[in-house]
Amino acid sequence: MSADAGTSGRTILPVADTRAVRAAIGRPLRGRRGVLALGLLALVGSAAAGTLVPPLLGRIVDVVVGRQGADAVTDPVLGLVGAALAQGLLAVVGMAAIARVGEQVLAALRERFVARALGLPLARLEQAGAGDLTSRVTSDLALVGDAVRQAVPDMARGALVIVLSLGGLALLDWRFFVAALVAVPVQVLTARWYVRRSSPLYREQREVGGAQQQQLLDTAGGIATVRALDLHDDHGDRVRSRAADVVDLALRVVRLQTGFFGRLNLAEFLGVAAVLATGFALVGAGTATVGTASAAALYFINLFTPINEVLFLLDTLQSAGASLARVVGVVDRDEDTEDTDDADGHDRSASPDGGVRVRGVSHAYTTGHEVLSGVDLDLAPGERLALVGASGAGKTTLATIVAGVHRASAGRVEVGDVAMVSQEVHVFAGTVAEDLRLAAPGATDEDLWAALDVVDARGWVAGLPEGLRTVVGTGGHTLTAAQAQQLALARLVLADPAVAVLDEATAEAGSAGARILEAAADHSLRGRTALVVAHRLSQAAAADRVAVLDAGVVVEHGTHDELLAAGGRYAELWAAGVGRVASGR
Amino acid sequence: MTAPITGPRVLRGAILDQRGPVSAAALLFMGHQAGEALVPVLVGTVVDRAVASGDTGALLRWLAVLGLDFLVLSFCYRWGARRAWLGDVRADQRLRLLVADRLLDPRGGAETGRLPGELANLAVADAKRVGVVNFAVPLGLAALAAMLVAAVSLVRISVPLGLLILLGTPPLLLVVHFLGVPLQRRSGPEQERAARASGVAADLVDGVRVLKGLGAVPAAVARYERASQEALGATLGATRVQAGYQGAVLAANGLFLALVALVGGRLAADGQISIGGLVAAVGLAQFLITPLQMLGWVNGRIAQGRASAARIAGLLAAGPAVAGGDPAAPPVPHRPALALHDLHHGSLRGVDLEVGAGETVGVVAADPADAAALVACLAREVDPARGTVTVEGRALAAHPPRTARSGVLVASHGAELFSGTLRENVAAAARDPAPVASAMAAAQADQVADVLPDGAETLLREQGRSLSGGQRQRVALARALAADAPVLVLHDPTTAIDGVTEIRIAEGVAGLRTDRTTLVLATSPALLAVTHRVVLVVDGRVAATGTHAELVASHPVYRSAVLG
Repeated sequence: MSADAGTSGRTILPVADTRAVRAAIGRPLRGRRGVLALGLLALVGSAAAGTLVPPLLGRIVDVVVGRQGADAVTDPVLGLVGAALAQGLLAVVGMAAIARVGEQVLAALRERFVARALGLPLARLEQAGAGDLTSRVTSDLALVGDAVRQAVPDMARGALVIVLSLGGLALLDWRFFVAALVAVPVQVLTARWYVRRSSPLYREQREVGGAQQQQLLDTAGGIATVRALDLHDDHGDRVRSRAADVVDLALRVVRLQTGFFGRLNLAEFLGVAAVLATGFALVGAGTATVGTASAAALYFINLFTPINEVLFLLDTLQSAGASLARVVGVVDRDEDTEDTDDADGHDRSASPDGGVRVRGVSHAYTTGHEVLSGVDLDLAPGERLALVGASGAGKTTLATIVAGVHRASAGRVEVGDVAMVSQEVHVFAGTVAEDLRLAAPGATDEDLWAALDVVDARGWVAGLPEGLRTVVGTGGHTLTAAQAQQLALARLVLADPAVAVLDEATAEAGSAGARILEAAADHSLRGRTALVVAHRLSQAAAADRVAVLDAGVVVEHGTHDELLAAGGRYAELWAAGVGRVASGR
Repeated sequence: MTAPITGPRVLRGAILDQRGPVSAAALLFMGHQAGEALVPVLVGTVVDRAVASGDTGALLRWLAVLGLDFLVLSFCYRWGARRAWLGDVRADQRLRLLVADRLLDPRGGAETGRLPGELANLAVADAKRVGVVNFAVPLGLAALAAMLVAAVSLVRISVPLGLLILLGTPPLLLVVHFLGVPLQRRSGPEQERAARASGVAADLVDGVRVLKGLGAVPAAVARYERASQEALGATLGATRVQAGYQGAVLAANGLFLALVALVGGRLAADGQISIGGLVAAVGLAQFLITPLQMLGWVNGRIAQGRASAARIAGLLAAGPAVAGGDPAAPPVPHRPALALHDLHHGSLRGVDLEVGAGETVGVVAADPADAAALVACLAREVDPARGTVTVEGRALAAHPPRTARSGVLVASHGAELFSGTLRENVAAAARDPAPVASAMAAAQADQVADVLPDGAETLLREQGRSLSGGQRQRVALARALAADAPVLVLHDPTTAIDGVTEIRIAEGVAGLRTDRTTLVLATSPALLAVTHRVVLVVDGRVAATGTHAELVASHPVYRSAVLG
């Protein structure tokens, strides 16, 4: 089995450009600018207090050289105490303020991200794979979060220290400043060397990380199947191979990083040697004191750490920027408005009377494989229409298009307020009440019980350990397929749409539970226009009208009796299904 | 494996397992820190011997020594970092695989009470946080060594000054440690909250189709916003603590420097140490800030690593769902008899059922919960509270779970497909490639392949979610058939498949399982019609047995269950 099967053949979700990223950050920043400015100001103050240290130490050297007595040391030392307290205090204020703004912007960003991610057209999500979205929601958001918490404040502080220290160096003597610049070419070349290599490497590292995450999600989500089919070794190998890729890349990354710091060590040596030589020359010429030369050397030594940090963070910021672009790419999807599932698009309009009109709808998931071709269909208000046909005839596709979940390649749909219960049963992790309230956030407990009554689920819900407050879904109390389906129908009742679409909703649990479910579905559809995808012919017989789909085309429609009498495809299906049962009898 | 798995044990194991790279890294990092500590000392020497005296030869000599020092510290850092990183990523990988192996333990029980997103987070983020400890420990040791070198240099410059540093640093470290305590306390709940929030996001994304069908996306978004705001609240508290901590460390370092400058300055003014000695002393005191901050960082990483190790230990210590069985148990024979005796589990109230060797038996449960309970026992997902499942006279629970499941293969209704091509999915459980094609044909999965762009080589996305429910069921059924298991249990395999295709599948399954022991838990007449006999389960007990035709004719409960 190919280990690479999970990632290839996909079109990932969009990635934002710089302008969009800036706009996405700017929006939540609005209204928090005051706090941000206060924070930055405090950080400048803290860095400035820090740069007072070397001249104060230089003062002490000059006091000693000038033989002014031991007590003359006290004043500069008090200055050092003041600088230490100011540095610490202002750093607390600055970092807290900036972290606060950062976290708030981050929260706003991730909430918007999830909102937009859930709003993405389904076809687009499937095309990109859950891994793409999951890795954006976990690792990319985490990377951006780390940058906001660590890299951005560190970078700001480091840059401030560098600027202020170089200023201090120039104030001592402009020639010290020039000497310090000896290190700059090496630093610039190193930074360029590094950033050029690091970006593709870090990108690869993130991709490998995403593949690992996806594999673990696959394995964890399907663990019962893994056990049943004895796929332990296969999945163990998959995880192992992903983990080995991650280790391999991590080691390549550290080789790059150590190369980077090695080159910066050379720059440090060149700079400090130049500053010392300059001090030697200036003291020799009598234009500088030994204390000034000492202060200059101390200034430069103090620059080692912030310079390394800032240059190193260039890359963190760059990769956080790339992650941010991937996050914002989902947040701002202006470029593909045409495939949003906005219910009022140009090919979709509200039906005035609560009925449904489908005109010339065609659909292809992949070009050249048309699953629906020019379907026309009408549902009168309150009418129940059953869609019948073999697997692959296009029933589900038509249902999702009417429900507005998928968007047709061509044609138009007129439908009002619509909700769908699909064959996919997902019980949301949380309490039963929370699960139901997804459909009607304002519903009271009485409303919930009323909806459960409609689908005949009050009995078992009341019998759960904590009733409506029982935690269900992954990690919670396990529900049977029929119970999960009843919850899905109860959600439909709570959503209370004029038009309901049911896709194989009663089929999932097998016919024993299906009888209960069929009654539940029948009750939940009462008073609504309904499109029912029928796999059991009994469902078709119970509908007002039947449409038979074959290879994406409506081949016949009419009432059950009309179609039986017509002796066409439907009659054939009916004979095959019932005949088989009859022969068993 | 006798001692209980605890957080500290996981953390200790992660370090000890990588003691080679970790100790090499510690030594090299010490060399690096010693080199860094020597930089201000050598700068002081240059000031003393060259700048103050104007001796050009001394300037060149001491600059060469300074260059050599840079060479050594650079070399030590490069190789130290590579070793430390190796220890880090290897420990990280080992823990990830331990978590995966526990999750994949055939006895199960690891996933109980945890969302898939949380499990993935444990294996990725938490393992990483523990791995980082292997980078942090050598750095911490080196920081301590650097402080030692600095102190020795200072004692050589002046005994009182050296003693001041030696005696002054431990209280400073203690302060740093105590300042870090609230940070550690915050770290656990903060990470927990974040894991919850990302679990909620993953769960909602997982159910996105349902949300869209209901128009419930806004409600789901509101729910995520609540989770995110809770996480924000926790983080904001932690950031305030973090800022206070960093600021306090800065102030403490600065005050310490002031003290060193005061004592050193007075000593220099009294002529007890040279000017170069003073420059070196204040340079060293400033240099000390870096190892001190490093210790703060190391402290934080270890705190986080400890919290993560405890979470990982919680998973590794999770009890198994079923017993291990006897490893010496022989494999299940090719064509065994299957018997259920007085089986109690969940809603089952003493089921007795025998399936002869090579027989195909249908089971119709009036209550789907009975079918689910039977499936759980047959799949050895649970060991029944009372009663037994035996295969060829040997209790299923006496087999190791893997042997039991390869003998009795349960194709559960909720089975998942995995990433890979359609053909790879079908062949996943097959020990022999021969039955794959016939299994695809029997389950009508070849028809699924025909409508996909790349046929059977089409990649299935998102656990097969790009397929319709009926298509997924056919692929999953083909996969179960291709495994060619001695006993095959099919649980509602065709519920999303149309009647016509279902009849073909029933014939295909019957053809492929001729003279093979097979149990079909379903209520579909098409499937039941091809069994030798059918057992009706009502209220957790067997209520009737007969052929499908007999039961349809004679039993009203049966009739209503299958002909709904």
